[in-house]
Amino acid sequence: MRVVVLAVGLLLVITLGSAIYVVNETEQVIVTQFGEPVGGPVDTPGLKFKIPLVQKIHRFEKRFLEWEGDVEELPTKDKVFVLIDTYARWRIDDPLLFFQRVRNERGAQSRLDDIVDGETRNAIARHNLIEVVRTSNREPITDESVFEAESGVQAELNEIREGRAAIREQILAAAQRRTEDLGIELLDVQFKRINYGDQVLRDVYNRMISERKRISERFRSEGQGEKAKILGDMERELKRVRSEAYRQAEEIRGRADAEATDIYAAAYDQSPASRRFYEFLKTMETFEATVDADTWMVLSTDGDFFRFLEDSGGG
Amino acid sequence: MAFGGGKKPTVVNFPEMPDLPKVPVGRIRAALIALVVVAVALSSVFTVEPEEEALVLRFGEYQRTLQPGLHFKLPFGIERAQKVPVQRQLKQEFGFRTVKAGVRSQFSTSGYEDESNMLTGDLNAAVVQWVVQYRVVDSYKFLFRVRHVEDTFGDMAEAIMRTVVGDRTVNEVLTVGRQEIEDLVKVQLQELADQYETGIRVDQVVLQNVTPPEPVKPSFNEVNQAEQERERLINEAQSEYNRAVPRAEGEARQTIQQAEGYAINRTNRARGDAARFLALYESYRKAPEVTRTRIYLETMETILPRAGKKVVVDDDLEGLLPLLDLTGRSAAPPPSPQGGGGGE
Repeated sequence: MRVVVLAVGLLLVITLGSAIYVVNETEQVIVTQFGEPVGGPVDTPGLKFKIPLVQKIHRFEKRFLEWEGDVEELPTKDKVFVLIDTYARWRIDDPLLFFQRVRNERGAQSRLDDIVDGETRNAIARHNLIEVVRTSNREPITDESVFEAESGVQAELNEIREGRAAIREQILAAAQRRTEDLGIELLDVQFKRINYGDQVLRDVYNRMISERKRISERFRSEGQGEKAKILGDMERELKRVRSEAYRQAEEIRGRADAEATDIYAAAYDQSPASRRFYEFLKTMETFEATVDADTWMVLSTDGDFFRFLEDSGGG
Repeated sequence: MAFGGGKKPTVVNFPEMPDLPKVPVGRIRAALIALVVVAVALSSVFTVEPEEEALVLRFGEYQRTLQPGLHFKLPFGIERAQKVPVQRQLKQEFGFRTVKAGVRSQFSTSGYEDESNMLTGDLNAAVVQWVVQYRVVDSYKFLFRVRHVEDTFGDMAEAIMRTVVGDRTVNEVLTVGRQEIEDLVKVQLQELADQYETGIRVDQVVLQNVTPPEPVKPSFNEVNQAEQERERLINEAQSEYNRAVPRAEGEARQTIQQAEGYAINRTNRARGDAARFLALYESYRKAPEVTRTRIYLETMETILPRAGKKVVVDDDLEGLLPLLDLTGRSAAPPPSPQGGGGGE
């Protein structure tokens, strides 16, 4: 008797346990009865009931889910091989349809691989690399020194017609059409990483290096040019300053000489007598200034000096 | 699970008790009751730490959010609490990881190149390392709207950073555009985080090392050096200019002053000479002959004693020069007396 009670009690507990189930905030549930879906999806959380032993529940995520693509090396329209890494965000929109089409998340991920990777490949192949990299046609900011040096090199960003965001939208739209009947809502596709493949990378590095070299050269020659210009300025300035000083000095001297000449002339040139007196005085002064111990004085007896002597002798 | 486990032993053990007559029944019952009480207490009381917030779920359904302090919930997993550190600032690093944080933190960058390598808008490559600091502001969304929310957030941050960097030249990324990139990434990341319903608020996006790729670095350094060199050359030339020109200006002023001095000297002397001459001439006019003779003789008186050799020749004498030993002596004077004699 006691064993029977025990058995019945146990059975009751098990049955009750299989009649009750909990739906989490993060879940939605489909109830099937012998494999056939019963009622709509249960998407409110809490304690729920079902017919024990007959009905089965299937849990699905209600949250936004992630999808990570593999890194793929894809050629762009301009034949550049780039490594593209995409991610997408999706959710199970219609759990029943989802359950029927892909059964579970693993199935969904693999379908998404096909769809999103495929659409990405198409989109990349239809566009030049620049379209995938750039989003807008904004003008680059340039710091002045770099700009000067680069104006001869490459400072401009190439124009785009569509751009990254638009291409993303195209991929999303195309993929959305294909995920609709899987019970999946695709909300976003993003390029997580875009990088050059190894082969291309080497070329890009070489290009960057030669570009930098050109900028360096430009800086150097600019420096030398600037230096030469300053030194040239200096040379011109020195010449100007010195010659102006010379000119002014000579003008001053000239004026002074002229003035002195005028003064002398005014004094000496009053009359023939003053002229003769000046000549005489000046001659005497010159004598005084020139005769010294090394001088030979050859005095003619006919000269003035002896004339006085003769005169006095004769007189 | 705690619910079933707690109930079952009491149901199973109770009827078996009579089969164990030796054991004191009262004590076991008391012990069991005590155990149950403790279990209830342990599974219903919990604390929420100061930086946290707790979300209570009853049978998986969200009930309430609790702030820091001591709290109660229904026991045995009927209610469960999930804690979210809403006050703590969280951080994700891209392109590097902090190995050991401290005064001198250690970082590791190897193995994270995939995160940091990116393309710039001029199709160059750059290495960008950055940090995103964020906080959970809506813990309900954070827990229940997005699965693997932090991984998703990391993916978002990478996508946005590359979008922004992809629209800039490598120069902007490396130099002038840093601040702008940080600001723009923050804004765009926040938009995306809201759109994805992550419940995250982006506090700050901080660029760390932003460099050219390793193989290109030397040539970038060369550009810097060349720029320095340009500055140096210009400075040198400028300093040479500054050394020479002001000095030349000074010298020019000196030249002019000297000329001024000459001018003053010249005119003063002229005036002085003129004044003396005029004075003398004035007296001379009164007795010209005598004055003339006097001056002539006075001059002779001064100069004749000074002259080293004096030769007196008769006017009729010819061929005098061969007789004079002029060798070793200056022969300049001979014309002088003629000049002196010639002047009337």
